[in-house]
Parts: sequence; C-alpha cells; structure tokens
Amino acid sequence: MGGSWFSSAFGKKCIQYVLVLAVALTINFALPRLAPGDPLEFFFGESTINELTPQQRQQVEHELGLDRSLWQQYADFMTGVFRFDLGSSIKYGKPVTEVLADRLPWTFLLVAPSLIVSAVIGIAIGAYAAWNRGKRRDLLFLTGMLTIESIPGFWIGMLLIAVFSVSLGWFPSFGAVPIAFTGGGMEYVLALLKHMTLPVITITLATIGGNFLLTRSSMLDTLGQDYVLMAEAKGAVKRSLIFNHALRNALLPVYTHITMSLGILVSGAVVVETVFSYPGVGRLLYESVIARDYPMMQGVFLIITLGVIAANLLADLTYPLFDPRARQRKQVEESP
Amino acid sequence: MYTRKSFGLFLSYLLVLSVFVLGCQSNQNAAPGQADAPKNGEAAGAANQTVPELKIGLPSDAGPLNIYTGNIDYLTELVFDKLFSPSPYVEKPQPWLAESAQQLDDVTWVVKIRSGIKWHDGKPFTAEDVKFTYEYYRDGPANRHTHHVSEVPHISKIELDDPSTVRFTCAYACPTLERITFADLPILPKHIWENVQNPRKYTDLPIGTGPYKLVEYKADQYYKFEANKDYFMGSPIVDNLVMPVIKDPTAIFNALRAGEIDISARPVPAELEASFQNQANMKVVQTAPLSLIELKLNYEKAPFNQEAFRNAMSLAVDRQAITDTVLLGKGRPGLKGYPHPDSPWTNPNLSTPYDVEKAKAVMDELKLTDQNNDGVRETADGKALAFSLKVPSTEPAWIRAAEMLKEQYAKVGIKINVEVLDSGTMATVSQTRDFDLVIGTIGAHGVADPDQFVMSHRSSYLWNKKIPYPAMDELTKQWMAETSVDKRKEIAFKMQELFNKQPTSIVLYYPEEKFAYNAQKFDQWVESPGFGVINKFSLLPDGVKKAVAKE
Repeated sequence: MGGSWFSSAFGKKCIQYVLVLAVALTINFALPRLAPGDPLEFFFGESTINELTPQQRQQVEHELGLDRSLWQQYADFMTGVFRFDLGSSIKYGKPVTEVLADRLPWTFLLVAPSLIVSAVIGIAIGAYAAWNRGKRRDLLFLTGMLTIESIPGFWIGMLLIAVFSVSLGWFPSFGAVPIAFTGGGMEYVLALLKHMTLPVITITLATIGGNFLLTRSSMLDTLGQDYVLMAEAKGAVKRSLIFNHALRNALLPVYTHITMSLGILVSGAVVVETVFSYPGVGRLLYESVIARDYPMMQGVFLIITLGVIAANLLADLTYPLFDPRARQRKQVEESP
Repeated sequence: MYTRKSFGLFLSYLLVLSVFVLGCQSNQNAAPGQADAPKNGEAAGAANQTVPELKIGLPSDAGPLNIYTGNIDYLTELVFDKLFSPSPYVEKPQPWLAESAQQLDDVTWVVKIRSGIKWHDGKPFTAEDVKFTYEYYRDGPANRHTHHVSEVPHISKIELDDPSTVRFTCAYACPTLERITFADLPILPKHIWENVQNPRKYTDLPIGTGPYKLVEYKADQYYKFEANKDYFMGSPIVDNLVMPVIKDPTAIFNALRAGEIDISARPVPAELEASFQNQANMKVVQTAPLSLIELKLNYEKAPFNQEAFRNAMSLAVDRQAITDTVLLGKGRPGLKGYPHPDSPWTNPNLSTPYDVEKAKAVMDELKLTDQNNDGVRETADGKALAFSLKVPSTEPAWIRAAEMLKEQYAKVGIKINVEVLDSGTMATVSQTRDFDLVIGTIGAHGVADPDQFVMSHRSSYLWNKKIPYPAMDELTKQWMAETSVDKRKEIAFKMQELFNKQPTSIVLYYPEEKFAYNAQKFDQWVESPGFGVINKFSLLPDGVKKAVAKE
C-alpha cells in the first residue's frame, strides 16, 4: 500500500513538480550571478564606490554577506527556501519575504481583475464573432482585436495616461494609493479604484486579443462538428446552441490558456507597473535586477516559479471538471 | 452531472466579478471632477506665506536617507545639517550648526556649537554629537565621507574643550577645514547611531536636526516630510513635502503636466521645454549643475599610462562639435577641462585645446605610426591602436557622443569600438577597471571640492596612489604641507593644469539643467550650487535663503 501514493497519478504529478521546482530554484540562484555587475555599485552610486579603497570595499562586501563562497550562498538559499527565509534584500535592507508580502497584494489587485475582464469579454466577443463568421461584424471584431493585440502594452498605457490623466484629468497617472491620504475608509477604496483603473484597462486590452482569437478559432472548429449540426436539426434554440453545445466544448483550450496565464498573476506586468509607477512585484523585479540585489531577485523569481507551477497544477487538476472525457479516461485508467 | 452546474456557476461568477469591476470603473467615469490632484493649485507662493503642501516628483529612490543605505544629497540635507552651509562649492560657507570656527594653528581648529538646537526626537543637540559623527565617519563603516576625515584631510584627534566646543587636530596642515570639511559632513545624532549594529541594514526613519522630518517612507513609492517648525534657522515655508518616486521619464512629466506633482526633480529634456513654457502656471528655470560628462582613460593600461599619449588623446577631441551636435548647443563644451569651471576652487585659466596636427605629431614622436597603411596606427611591436569605448545604454546623448569620438579619433589614426552596455554591467566595468575608455558623469562632490580632487588621485578614480606619478606626487606633497588657503589654492591650480595636459579624464561637456514647476503653487525656488533648485534653502524663509543661495 505504501507505494501506491507514489504510483498514483497525483503522486507522480507531485514528484514531477518537486523536480521542476528544484531545477528552477537552481537556475534562479545561478542566473542573477551570471549577469555582470554587482550590488555594491548601486548601493553607493558610482562616484562614491570609486572613492572607496579596496579594503573598504571588502569590508562592505562582508557586511552585506557577499564575500561568502558561492556554494555557501547556494546552500543558504536552498535551505532558506524551505524555512521560508529568503535572506535580506540588499537594496531595501529588509527581509525579502517582507518586501514580497508588501508587493504581492498590489499585483493581485491589478492582474486578477484584468485577467477576469479580459477572459469574459474576450470569450463573449470571440464566440459572437465565430457565430457570425464572415459577416461584417466578424471582420470588424477580428481586425479590431488584431490591432489591439499588436499594440504593445506600454504604449496603450501611455496613451491612456495622455488622454485620461493629462488631458481630461479623470484618473491619476501614477501610484497605487494617494500619498498622504487622510480620508476615511470608503474614500480610500474609491481612490484605490481610481488609481487601478487605467492599469487594469491597459492589462485587459493587452491580453484580450489572445482570448478572443483563441475562442474564435476554437469555436469555429466546434461549430463545424456534426453534433452541432445534429443539435440544430433537433431544433435547439440559438442561445442553447451557442452556449450549451458549441461554446462549452470550444472553451476547453481557452480554459487551459487562461489558467496557465494565471502564472503572470504574481510576476505581474513589469511594463505596465513601470509605466504607472505601480508598486507591484513586476516593478520590484525590474528594480532588483537594476540594483543586482541577488536575494531580492531570487525571491521574486521564486514567487514567479511557484506561480507558474501552481497555475499548471491548477490547470491539470481542474481540467477534468470541464472535460468529462478526461474524467472518464482517468476512471478507465484507474480501474483495476 | 455536477459539471454543468459548476460550469454555469463558474461563468456566472466571472460575470458578477466583471460587472463589479466594470461597475467600479464606470462609477469613476461618472465622477471626473474628483481626481485627487488639484488641477489649478490654490493661489499661493507669495513671499513669506506658508504653503500647506508641495508635491515633488523624484526620478529615483535613495532609501530611508540614512547615509549608509543610499544617498541623494538634496534629500539627505532636508533632514540633516552640517556645521557650515550650504556646501564646499561656494566661496564662503556660513556657520550653521556651528556658531563659529577658529583656527588656532596650522593643524588645530576649534568649533563653537550653536546652543538650543534639538534633534527631531526632542533630545538636545550637543558637541558630543559632532565628536561622535566625525569619529564614526573616520573609524566606522566606510562611506563617501570617510576619507574626508581619515585621509584628505586627516583629522587625527577630536576632543571636547567644553560642552559646546569641539577641538579638531589634523595629522598635517588643514587650512580649509572650515570651508570644505565642515561644510560637507552631515552631523548624526550620537544617541541613535551609537546603537546601530549594521548601518547598511539600518532602515529606521532618520533623526536629524534639519528643517524637515521624514515621517513616512515607502521604498520605490514615496517620501513624506513634515516641517520642523522649531528649526533653528527659521520655520520652513512649506508645511508638508510629498515626494512620489516616478522613475519613468515620460510618466514623471505627464504627472507634472496633469498637476499631480508641482515640480519634477528630473531635469526637463530639451524637447519638452517649450511645451512647459507654454503651459499656464508653469515656469522653467535653468540651473548650472556642478557636474560634467567625462571620457575616462584607463591609466593603468598601456598606452594610457604614458603622459604624452594621454596628451594626444585630449588634443584629438573636438568638444565644441560634440556639444553642438549632441546637445544642440544646450550645454557648455568641456573647453576648460577638469574640475568644474564654476567651482571657486578651479583654476580659471585652464584650457583643453583641440589640435589634430599636434595630436598626430605627439603620436609620431611616441613611435606610434601606421606601418601597414590601414589608417590605424600601431605600436613599435605592431599592435594596432584599437580601443573599446564603453557607454551605458540608458544615456542616448552619451552614445551619440561616443559615435562622434569614434570619428574624431579615426582622424588621428586611433580606432574606437563603441560598446553599449546595461547600467549594472557598466558599474562593474568601472569598479573593476576592466576598460580602455568609458563615458561617465561625476557630480559636485567630485568636481567642485578641491580635497576630492586630491583624494581622487589617491583612491583610483583619477589615479591610484600606489602608482608613481612623480610630477603630481611632488605637487601633492607641497599641497599637503601648505598652511595657507591661498597658497594651497595656487598649488591646486598647478595640479589642475598638469592634470588637463595629460588627463585621465577628458571632459566632454558641462551639462545644463532645466526644471519645470507650477509657479502658482510655489515660486520661491533658489539654486544652491551643486544642488539645483530642490534644496532646503528654497524652503526656508527669505532672509536665510538669501544668505546661502546663489543669486
């Protein structure tokens, strides 16, 4: 019985993920250190660092723990991960976990609504366009979505700022919260929403094209299937035909695509967060790369790795809920 | 079975959420007038009337201003004070935390401390704090102030004559202690810093004596300062300073245009200048920062270790053409060399002539000739004079300057290969000195402080004290022995002349900076040399402001 867990599909998956994690962690450790540059320079600014004597440099390196051997640093990192102690950020002078905990909610706040809105609208329009295939509205949506898809995210952001912040003054152009805010709870929430509106729209627009195109092509495939023709022949009404017969089947690849993209929930949107000076994980990553803040980079990479692995796991585990075939296959495999 | 239900549930969940999100968005669309940034600042800024709040956009973050964890001088000095002010970059700094300073003999100074000053936490400021700070900078973890106590000058003893008098004894003559050192080192509170274990990881908010208290700091997001109403030089004229960190250049000027900030600490690029000048409420002020853009030669490597070759390298650069083309004339060409010509400590007669023929003649004399007729000179053993020039990718103007240098050096038979690198890599390159040529910049502390000029020849920035440089070493010896300020200045002038003849840093140009600000909100900015307009003197009452700021 003891071996059954390891041989079960779930157990195998888990072992697989642990292996992936171990490899990813090693790469996370190695990559920052392979890049040229080191944290000292950033720490002092170029003119100061050039004024330090070699002895003083060594002293600073010792104070920052940069003089330990690579193996020692690697061992510390790997054991630290399991104790959830990722060391101390060089740039921020605080525990890495603390800085991450500070940034993660902001990223969730931006990315989660964007992904949801983008999925819902993308799917709806995709299905609609496929149903009206070849008609003028289909072409209209198709060209529109292709256009949006090909515009880089930062440019959408800059346009939105130029129009809605600078010209109209409706929304703030930077930050997540008003600084030095004195208002009460409800006002604070309102201000928060106001600050997140433009970035959310930006990420939504930047990702909606993919959802639309995938849904449309998958839907076109499904609409050509015999069972849809059969349903139509049976006299199913249009709505039931689209939603119950076609879209449900067409959504399977879209669902996988969306779950996998949940991985970016944590890595955030580096570019959008930079354009809007938003204090999320994406911008944190950018800052720590510039500063060559090894512990912080490791921390952010770790979170991204975990995010991607978790998204994969989620897709793996929930897929059978949506696709009865996967469920039945599993039952067949598992039956003695 | 459960799938249909859960699928429906999933869809309706998505729908509800999206309706919620969209609802929120349209809610905001419906209330456009309530953007939290004031669009037209309430009329303010008349002389000696306090302004409740100013928003200053910062292009970078300097940590919690604790000196050891990053540093931007103009922010640090809002919180901390020095014995003399505003800086070593002016003709005569004024007593600040000090009441007076007196030189007793060639190596001894006594400083009388102003009484009645309090730290932000209410504890009294004392002479003990001064003694502690100078000793901490000298003996504690290294920072940019360390060698201005331990080497140039070298303050060997710091004692208290009485509770308000500090006696400084130098290891060798120190005639400029009052004008330079006292005006450069911010004073730390002993009662806080004696308990700090590792200053590099010390992230508490700073306690200073300065006109502003840092009350809130969010890394990479913002600083919030409150006026120190009891400030000994007069209560500041702005109550609160809010400083969001906006690193993206486009974003910071958008925020300024939208009225979300009142001034940007990032200088306005030439192409945006007109748009701000044309905007109502906005003014653009020009400052002359004490900084320069330099081409650094790696004096540790051949042939840059030869004085005559460095002379030829300098003669071959047409600085005027670079300024005209790259800066469109907005900036001054480096015709006066190193250090900065606006510093009161710089020889006004320096020059860096451009003479292609002479450059060629010098190289011919060095037997660096083109033996294989490929247009590139070779050394006697046949090695081509081909060098790499490294430039950071973040500075487009420098990259263009590098391309021009490539052409200019080609004219005298030197081949330049321009390499554009990310800033992290650039940093390591200059630290490990793994380069032939690099383009960089250096600010006031490096090019307006005469002690730093000497120090830079010892610390490896311009030269390394371990490598003999007989002519310069002789002058340095004289400089260190000299006891009069004026005579020392004369020796420094000779050192600068020598330096510019065979420079290890070829000055390309002295940049100009322009700052755009909302004049309706606040129009009392004054320039402090080396600090631009965003400095504590801008925020102090008129009388104090005039005493220290540049006219």
